[in-house]
Amino acid sequence: MLKPLIFAGLFTLSAASAAPALDADAVNQSPPGEPFVQVSEALPLPEFIPGLGTLFVDPAQLPAGPFLAYDHAGKLSATVYMTPLKALQDGTAFDGLAVGSSTVSAVDIYYNGGHPGVDEPHAHVVLFHDAEAKARLAE
Amino acid sequence: MMLKRRQALSSGGGVLAALACPRLLAAAPLKTIFMRGSARGERIWFDPVGLAVAPGTRLRFINRDQGNSHTATSYHPDNYDRERRIPVRATPWDSGFLLPGDSFEVTLTAPGVYDYYCIPHEMAGMVGRIVVGMPEDPLWEGARGDSDDLAAQAAAGFPSVETILRHRAISQEAKP
Repeated sequence: MLKPLIFAGLFTLSAASAAPALDADAVNQSPPGEPFVQVSEALPLPEFIPGLGTLFVDPAQLPAGPFLAYDHAGKLSATVYMTPLKALQDGTAFDGLAVGSSTVSAVDIYYNGGHPGVDEPHAHVVLFHDAEAKARLAE
Repeated sequence: MMLKRRQALSSGGGVLAALACPRLLAAAPLKTIFMRGSARGERIWFDPVGLAVAPGTRLRFINRDQGNSHTATSYHPDNYDRERRIPVRATPWDSGFLLPGDSFEVTLTAPGVYDYYCIPHEMAGMVGRIVVGMPEDPLWEGARGDSDDLAAQAAAGFPSVETILRHRAISQEAKP
């Protein structure tokens, strides 16, 4: 009896603070247009990063993102957030972040030691937008 | 003489000699240090992290991390105003960002201890140490101590000079 109440409470909280979805027509296919820039053109990173695909980000939203992740065919496959561990530990919250699509089939969260653009240890939060997205971004 | 990707740099008094006689570079022994990373970037490291070489050895850094870029950057005021952690007679180097498959070469001639790091991964402890020659060599300059200039993760990443000289090459896993 308690569990449904907790879930109902969480759902209400989630719905009340739901992240805004970006304009689907504008971001479903690469390139997403302004204010997004292709990460590999702004930073020394591979154009297609295994596991993340081709990333675009609004520079004003660094470091957390959202980073829009596209597969080789240019289809939006995931939305990625990068949150520095020290900032989280120091009390910084990253709230109300936008999502590339309101359809989320799975979420991966894992540690990353850093890379150009977010050059400190941080967490990757990856929201996959369809069941095959992870495989398409793998390599 | 800063040469990027598939070029070379000579550090420590050998620059003019190399320019005057290119065969010196061609004939110099070559050692390779790989830049590696796990698939999701949880771990990144130089392989080997500690290496002992003879003076005049060419060192080639190669990025073998398919999902990340790396640098090999010596600790020196000329590089982002960092404290010097290479022999005073050595020339500092900075490879710049190397994308997967890219490489960079440097030739080290001044005997002593050279500490270097990867710019975007120093805070994750991606550092390395090269020992050139032996402590009894003339003008040898040993390892620098800990400093406020170093993050704790970086300071913990250098194998001891004694361990490097004993094993000649230290893999990340075997690092004491």
